[in-house]
Amino acid sequence: MTPRVAQMGLGAFSLLFFAFIYAPLLIIIVYSFNSNPVNMMLWDHFTLEWYTGLFGLSERGPEIGDQNRSLYLESTDQMLHALRTSLTVAAFTTTIATVVGTATAIALNRFRFRARRFYNGFMLLPMMMPDIVLGIGLLIFFVTIGLNLSIVTIIIGHCTFLISYVFIVVQARIAGIDPALEEASADLGASEWVTLRKVLLPQLAPGILGGALLAFVISMDDLVITYFIAGTESTTLPVFIFGMIRRGVKPEINAIATLMILASVIIAGFGLWLRARKTD
Amino acid sequence: MLEIRGARRIFTTPEGGKVTALDRVDLNVDENEFVTLLGPSGCGKTTLLRAISGFEMLDGGTVRLEGADLSKLAPFRRPINTVFQSYALFGHMSVARNVGYALEVRGVDRAARERKVSDALETVGLSDMGSRRPSQLSGGQRQRVALARAIIAEPRLLLLDEPLSALDRNLRQQMQLELKALQARLGIAFIFVTHDQEEALTMSDRVVVMREGRIEQIGTPREIYRHPRNRFVTEFIGETNIFALTVDRIEGDLARARTAEGTCLSLPAAGRSRGEAVTAVLRPESLHPGAEGIAGTVMRSVYLGSDLVIFVRPEAGGAEIRVTTRDGADAPMTGDAINLAYDPAVIHILEDR
Ligand SMILES: Nc1ncnc2c1ncn2[C@@H]1O[C@H](COP(=O)(O)OP(=O)(O)OP(=O)(O)O)[C@@H](O)[C@H]1O
Ligand SMILES: [Mg+2]
Repeated sequence: MTPRVAQMGLGAFSLLFFAFIYAPLLIIIVYSFNSNPVNMMLWDHFTLEWYTGLFGLSERGPEIGDQNRSLYLESTDQMLHALRTSLTVAAFTTTIATVVGTATAIALNRFRFRARRFYNGFMLLPMMMPDIVLGIGLLIFFVTIGLNLSIVTIIIGHCTFLISYVFIVVQARIAGIDPALEEASADLGASEWVTLRKVLLPQLAPGILGGALLAFVISMDDLVITYFIAGTESTTLPVFIFGMIRRGVKPEINAIATLMILASVIIAGFGLWLRARKTD
Repeated sequence: MLEIRGARRIFTTPEGGKVTALDRVDLNVDENEFVTLLGPSGCGKTTLLRAISGFEMLDGGTVRLEGADLSKLAPFRRPINTVFQSYALFGHMSVARNVGYALEVRGVDRAARERKVSDALETVGLSDMGSRRPSQLSGGQRQRVALARAIIAEPRLLLLDEPLSALDRNLRQQMQLELKALQARLGIAFIFVTHDQEEALTMSDRVVVMREGRIEQIGTPREIYRHPRNRFVTEFIGETNIFALTVDRIEGDLARARTAEGTCLSLPAAGRSRGEAVTAVLRPESLHPGAEGIAGTVMRSVYLGSDLVIFVRPEAGGAEIRVTTRDGADAPMTGDAINLAYDPAVIHILEDR
């Protein structure tokens, strides 16, 4: 094979690869602008009504009738409520998981104590456990201790595994930091606390932010575990969408999905930008 | 000023073995003194420095600074600063903030801090680099930042762990002179670590030669070079010729001695007795081509710029003798028969063999 052919082959392969990954997303985005309310796979014409509908800005035309309209508006309300729940859960879990995960990573890397390895392994376990097992386990646990399923149980549940994610990201970063930096700080007269604040945390910042973003995205996205531990009053967006699809696919789903893709891209872009910013 | 007594540190390796990094080390450092720790890799130089700065706990012995026991004092409370081998500059801070760090954590107000930072930067010749990041500096400049950062709080004692090893030869020699000048100006004691004997000899008031956790010899560069105590120090401090000799007879103030192969040498008679076995050191620059002396053949020569090193095989046999001569038209050529003359007075006899 000549290098030219090889190069072309490689190009074609890359193209197919990206097509394979992004085609589903692209289809969703395209259909989210399709006005056909009955069969969303058949292109009718361009519209923004699924988006405006999501935010209650437009009402569906006469074809759905008065009774259906109120049902429709109610489900939109529920969806916005679910989105709010998701955001609240994500905000709390991200904060808690970031603080605890970072503190654990620092402790396990900078202090020597017995059973350090054991703790390290323990931190990884929740991440490797099948979601469904974790979900059932959490549910049984909450029921056993008599905690009513609510937004609180979702936050607790998410924290159990998101701490591990943050821990891993921060730990990777911490392992790459020269311990001499902290010694230099102490040598120059800084107490451990000052060293933590002025040297270690700023050095870790990209890792901590990366971990936080990851936790946020996963928390927003989690379905399986949340499905078990979300009460009836506190549905998150993924759980709501899942339920919606089971009742029949509404075209709004495409719009929701597109907005979620957009949000993910923005968050991922922010993460990449942070990472690209030179830290040393 | 600094007094180390019986310092001992034994590491346990992950495999369970024991490494004695410091073995009953005694060392005094005076005010204003430039002391160099010299020794091969792994001999415990860094460990000794870290014991002084407080990052390494001793298993035995004491470290005192101006009479006060340091063992209870956390590293950040010791009036001692370090220039780290890796520089350990804070990458997320500007050069100026790096330099001013010691003042910042002591709560010195901004105006005073800025004044001192610009003084310190000027001292090391980096006045206009304060706003850069360490990553935007060359190796030599980073080294100076590390130095400025370590002296800004006016420590009583400055520790430098191989600060010049990452620099190229020219810059290293320049920095050697600058460091020495800086030390004289600051009037504080420096403990400098290196495994480069030339560096140790040029810079130090006293050299401490270490080996496997022990101090082999302490002395001025001249003492160490001219009167090494044993074979290890002799060989470590520079290329040299070592002869194992037996004294044949005493003639006036000269003792005649010979190697096992039969090469004869004349030594000062003082303290020698017939039949005694001695180890003699004859530096390459103390030998020169002459009318009489050790007869041999030039085996090869190495050109070093102004100097020429020739290796001579003694007629009687035995190890090649290394000789430094000036290069020139009459320089000995490979294959030449040669006589190596020397002044018997410069022969040094090792105390411990
Ligand atoms: N934390 C440690 N655990 C186990 N062994 C150690 C530790 N630190 C140092 N050692 C061992 O102690 C000995 C002395 O180490 P040290 O770092 O003081 O050597 P050094 O003279 O500074 O060498 P170099 O010139 O290579 O820097 C070495 O054999 C080293 O392997
Ligand atoms: Mg060392």
